[in-house]
Amino acid sequence: MNSVKKSKGRIVVDWLTTTDHKKIGYLYLITSFVYFMIAGVMALLIRAQLAMPGLTIVQTKEQYNQLFTMHGTIMLLMFATPLFAGFANVLMPVQIGAPDVAFPRLNAIAYWLYFFGSFIAVAGFFTPQGAASFGWFAYAPLSSTTFSPGLGGDLWVFGLALSGFGTILGGVNFITTIITMRAPGMTMFRMPIFTWNTLVTSILVIMAFPPLAAALFALGADRKFGAHIFDPANGGPMLWQHLFWFFGHPEVYILALPFFGIVSEIFPVFSRKPVFGYRTLIYATIAIAALSMTVWAHHMYVTGSVLLGFFAFTTMLIAVPTGVKIFNWIGTMWRGSITFETPMLWSLGFLTTFIFGGLTGVILSSPALDFHLSDSYFVVAHFHYVVFGTVVFAMFAGFYFWWPKFTGKMLNERLGKIHFWLLFFGFHMTFLIQHWLGVKGMPRRYYTYLEGDGFTWMNQVSTVGSLLLGLSMLPFLWNVWVTSRKGVKVEMNDPWGFGRSLEWATASPLPRHNFTSIPRIRSESPAFDLNHPEYASPDAKAPLKKGKK
Amino acid sequence: MPAKKRFRWAAIPVIAVLMATLTGCTTQEFSRGWLPGVTGVTNHTERIVSLWAGSWIVLYAVGIIAWGLMFWAIIVYRRRKGDAEIPAQLRYNMPIETLFTVIPFILVIGFFALTTRDMDIIERPVASDYRIEVVGKQWAWDFNYTNDNVYDSGIQLQDVTEEAEKELPTLYLPVNKSIQFDLVSRDVIHSFWVIDFLYKKDVFPGRVNKMYLTPQVIGDYKGKCAELCGEYHSMMLFNVKVVSQEDYDARMKELADMGNVGQLTADPNDPNNINRNNNLPGDNPESEG
Repeated sequence: MNSVKKSKGRIVVDWLTTTDHKKIGYLYLITSFVYFMIAGVMALLIRAQLAMPGLTIVQTKEQYNQLFTMHGTIMLLMFATPLFAGFANVLMPVQIGAPDVAFPRLNAIAYWLYFFGSFIAVAGFFTPQGAASFGWFAYAPLSSTTFSPGLGGDLWVFGLALSGFGTILGGVNFITTIITMRAPGMTMFRMPIFTWNTLVTSILVIMAFPPLAAALFALGADRKFGAHIFDPANGGPMLWQHLFWFFGHPEVYILALPFFGIVSEIFPVFSRKPVFGYRTLIYATIAIAALSMTVWAHHMYVTGSVLLGFFAFTTMLIAVPTGVKIFNWIGTMWRGSITFETPMLWSLGFLTTFIFGGLTGVILSSPALDFHLSDSYFVVAHFHYVVFGTVVFAMFAGFYFWWPKFTGKMLNERLGKIHFWLLFFGFHMTFLIQHWLGVKGMPRRYYTYLEGDGFTWMNQVSTVGSLLLGLSMLPFLWNVWVTSRKGVKVEMNDPWGFGRSLEWATASPLPRHNFTSIPRIRSESPAFDLNHPEYASPDAKAPLKKGKK
Repeated sequence: MPAKKRFRWAAIPVIAVLMATLTGCTTQEFSRGWLPGVTGVTNHTERIVSLWAGSWIVLYAVGIIAWGLMFWAIIVYRRRKGDAEIPAQLRYNMPIETLFTVIPFILVIGFFALTTRDMDIIERPVASDYRIEVVGKQWAWDFNYTNDNVYDSGIQLQDVTEEAEKELPTLYLPVNKSIQFDLVSRDVIHSFWVIDFLYKKDVFPGRVNKMYLTPQVIGDYKGKCAELCGEYHSMMLFNVKVVSQEDYDARMKELADMGNVGQLTADPNDPNNINRNNNLPGDNPESEG
């Protein structure tokens, strides 16, 4: 607003001590994006190592194990999960018409727990034996000090435990905010889908992360104090797998649901129609979340000691609400008036990719087929289609979509489209071929493979694709730079013209405490009702009733 | 904006070319859905191949419908010059939504039924002709042929060449005899995967996992450890030779003549076992990194 130019020191102190939900959100977004690029570089090293059999681009096998362990850990727990916290922090309070979250200082603590926890976990790279190398799911007894003695393992265990508390506190904060701080008129069934998904995701967080924290402390006790909780003599390896996947599977949906929420905001705006089947979408989200708590042992089919039928059935059932969502997004475009600005392009890229990830997920849900595919590159390909397809595509969709709300300037459309096509092509080139690699028998987490395996050309296609994928970051970074230097200021509330939720009924960038006035909320599209009253939903057009019935 | 539109259409040939290259394989591979191996490698593989192929046919149909509807909507309902500013604000359509909830549910029930049928047969314990104990260890395999009271002990891969591959621990199996595998580990979790058998099972410390199958085709097969087990995980390979009864018996005699009589154990402190710290012959891998 009418701010006097601050000294650099003041700006730094301001950011370090902030309790403003938007600034904390930006801290989350920036930190997680930095981790995204760090782990992306690790991925490029992994792909380079696999370009030919017998290479030693990564000098030792131990270092290679550290790379994929930290790639997975960072991507899931330091990139994707806090990225959700970032988007939710900036947008959810605005979408419900609130000036901030319910617990602003708790919010700041949650961020700093994440910041230091993640740094501790990654700091293993600065110790003599290097970072943790037992894979991001740290199966006992490989993760014990007998087999992984390094300090990096300890830092990993305790860093993640610390960071996990940040995530839990964030979840509590989001739930409380959504329950208690909605603006007058913002009933639960008028909340935007993104806010709904934030709520459901936060509930999943407070169910899934405490078991992880407990498991990590138990592993820490084994490693540092000689406890025998995960000792094979008392069935420890299976206990760890159950605890880990009881967290690990809901975690996948913690990653996916908020990003489903993002594209659910974008499809309606660029189709100029309300989201198709608003309530069905919400029920589908709830169904996915509920089922996701019951499917963890599908990661353990080949252990030979889980009830295959039960976990196969619940896993297959998840396909139903997921399919409902896919068809609802398509239904939103149906009979619409669709334009292809960058946010829409990224959302369509998400949908194309995610559909295939869903199909391979159904294949993997069948134990009879999973016995062959488990722990192969087919699984690697599957989860990159699902997680990269969801998180990364929807993240960029969200960035291009809300950049004017974040900064007051629009990102360049042409650079955005170059960015999209490079990344889209690079991604599919990297990961599509990996399905065949897995089917043909290449196990995951292999430092190298045999000349006689016949995997060489497929790995090379994948490696070249990964290079393209890496290069696609350049137009984006350039775009951010150019926009911040030369971008034209957006002088209106809704630069896209057909925004629906409340953030499009307030200034760009978002003002302090978000609103100077709040429009009447009579449907799930208050900003749209305000700007296009002649097309508003029947509820919004009805005259205000005097008093209660 | 004609240039922009052309760019958008360019995606279609790109995808078509990609599909053509990726699917350009032999018909034999195609009919197996690219699964490795030949017909009837074990008594279970054809069951898996047909479930795999059948599932993909249905899933591709579902995928084509979903992608098709998506691209159809994009093309037909793209914004054109002279369109009304805002289309009809359609919010839901109950029959359609019911349809795309119920049909997937029915498909899921069918898929579950077929899966359960096959899975039960694959996992069912059977009284077998031979019992072989597989001991996983960092980072190789020991095999106990319990019927003949002999064993074979291996070391990890030394190089990626085809010569080095021949030096890998080799498991001999008699053709057309039912075999029970008892899987045990001496240290961490491993996973016993013979690629062409289309089946793997984890090898746990402190527990015995069992698997049952009958190899039906004489030949050489590749096996790999599929569960991350430490630094040399990717070197923990083995070969499988399915041989005639005579060749199998000859191999058992050969092992006995070599003095490999008795059985190795999963106990890490057993002095008879060859472990990661006495990986002879070949270079000591500990000095490499």
